[in-house]
Amino acid sequence: MKLRNTLIILAILLIGVSAFAKTEKVVCSGSTTVLPIAQATAEAFMDKNPNINISIRGGGSGVGIAALQNGTVHIANSSRPIKTKEMNQCRAKGIAPTAYAVALDGIAILTHKSNPVSNLTVKQIKAIYTGVIKNWKDLGGPNLPIVVISRDVASGTFEVFNEKALGGAKVISSALLLASNNAVVTSVADTPGAIGYAGLGYLGEGVNTVSVNNIVPSKATVQNDSYPLSRKLYMYTNGKAKGAVGSYIAFIQSPAGQKIVENEGFVALK
Amino acid sequence: MKRLIVLLCLGVMILPLMAEEIKLTGEMWNRWTLETGDAPAGENTILRNNLSLERGYLGLEPKFSDAVKGRFTVDIFSTDLVKDGAGLKIKYAYLDFNKLLPVPDMTATIGLQKVYFGSIYDWDYTLIGKAPTDEYKFANSADYGITINGFIPGGWGEYALGVYNGEGYKNYGSNLKGNIEPAFLANLRVIPITGLTLGGSFMLNSSERSDSLTGLGGDNPKYNEQKMMDAYLRAAYGPLSLTGEYIIKDVTYPNKPANDMSANCASVNAVIKLNSLVEKDIDLVARYDRSDPTDSDKDENIVTAITGGVNYNFMHDDSAKPAMQLQLNYTTKSNSVKTTNDSSALMLQLKWRFSNTLKV
Repeated sequence: MKLRNTLIILAILLIGVSAFAKTEKVVCSGSTTVLPIAQATAEAFMDKNPNINISIRGGGSGVGIAALQNGTVHIANSSRPIKTKEMNQCRAKGIAPTAYAVALDGIAILTHKSNPVSNLTVKQIKAIYTGVIKNWKDLGGPNLPIVVISRDVASGTFEVFNEKALGGAKVISSALLLASNNAVVTSVADTPGAIGYAGLGYLGEGVNTVSVNNIVPSKATVQNDSYPLSRKLYMYTNGKAKGAVGSYIAFIQSPAGQKIVENEGFVALK
Repeated sequence: MKRLIVLLCLGVMILPLMAEEIKLTGEMWNRWTLETGDAPAGENTILRNNLSLERGYLGLEPKFSDAVKGRFTVDIFSTDLVKDGAGLKIKYAYLDFNKLLPVPDMTATIGLQKVYFGSIYDWDYTLIGKAPTDEYKFANSADYGITINGFIPGGWGEYALGVYNGEGYKNYGSNLKGNIEPAFLANLRVIPITGLTLGGSFMLNSSERSDSLTGLGGDNPKYNEQKMMDAYLRAAYGPLSLTGEYIIKDVTYPNKPANDMSANCASVNAVIKLNSLVEKDIDLVARYDRSDPTDSDKDENIVTAITGGVNYNFMHDDSAKPAMQLQLNYTTKSNSVKTTNDSSALMLQLKWRFSNTLKV
């Protein structure tokens, strides 16, 4: 009888311990711009919290917010603020999207390494992307047709660029639409007449970054919001972030997390 | 039909040339139905036992610019219930102008479009049955018209104001009743707290035309004026959502007042998502309808329908929306007076959807 009781107590203890040691899962999806920040910070966070498992997918800001709305993710990564329509759909379904800024970013305007044009105004950028200006010679550059490269219209980066640089105007139909920041940087680096744009975290040595309205995209100009194409990057949760989700977001916003943000090429929150 | 197909093909070829991106969408509803009820002889028997493509949609959604989008959807079906066995209708053909008016999140929509009445415009068929407005013939789900629709900033709700033909998308050509008066619609939904939606719709419509065009003079006794109102409530909390709707329709016949009538319907449905319990995307669904189609002493009959069912969403798209769904519904319908119309139906439906965006 004693042995049986001991075994029962042991079994209960084992079940109890295993329940407490259960791994908590955090699922994130959304913006490809926020993806490297989420991946790098998740790695560091999981090193410190081995009982928390964070899985991260891309897909685009809209996909992340739709997944939050459908209750399949804990965090929606977004490189733009949530739209009114999305907020409405979420609230009707009992989901309360709550925004957490995790980093700042500037959308850098990129040209080929050989291109001497070093500054463009927002007006000139709009003229290029809408097909009004078609040759670099009209901007003080070489006699070279401009190859317009843009992000696909589903991306949050495109939406911010479209709003801040183009004022909602339609991108010229001959523009090359690419699905990621990396693809834009690579294409601009390979095409002498190209112009493109990408988040600061994606810049490499193969491209020139031009100033906009004579303001260079930098940590200082993004933080003080003087760079015309600066933006915040967000993580959205359903209601106030709690538990493992809250701890993870608090870590990203902490000095250690913001250091990782800067290591990834983005700008830390003020 | 041939002309329609030629127009469809031309539309499919021309739209991509003008748009900067185009979304291709489709969904198919393959259904098995077993319906039992009273035969004309009076015995309870199997009335229907068949497989059908009950509904299918194919759509093109071109985006011409950030400010202008279009939608073109055809409704296809194949079933033994109709004479020719299959059919094709244009369900939507409209343009959305997002920046025509200087109001944030407001859209002007022109063309064959949704009718923003009650729950009919965003009914998601979590249950197999139609929205009550559609099921009990209060209003059409689509019609030709012009609407101003949008969202209240901050996610506080949505609204729509519209002028429609009033005949619905199913009527065309000789089926149209010669009505010359437009239908007017107003719809408002507010979300005062997350998870609670309160709404109301109001519509004025008419059918037939009052005066005769034959030259013989006289008033048309079939001409009628309709006033419809809908109250809507939806509550969603965690895995549970509950939707309630109450619809009233008053019909007056100015040329034959004896035919004046009114109808009303109350409908409640509930959905419980079980995914957190069973780790599969399974929903339990239930619905109760009470419809009084005439609300008159001489022709009194109240229809009550109760539905119970289960959905298994076994494949999803990137946004976690069901891409493949198996639905099982059992509905029993009873009549307070016309009891020979009582019936019950068991339906098993495999629904699949796809959506791809092409950059042009």
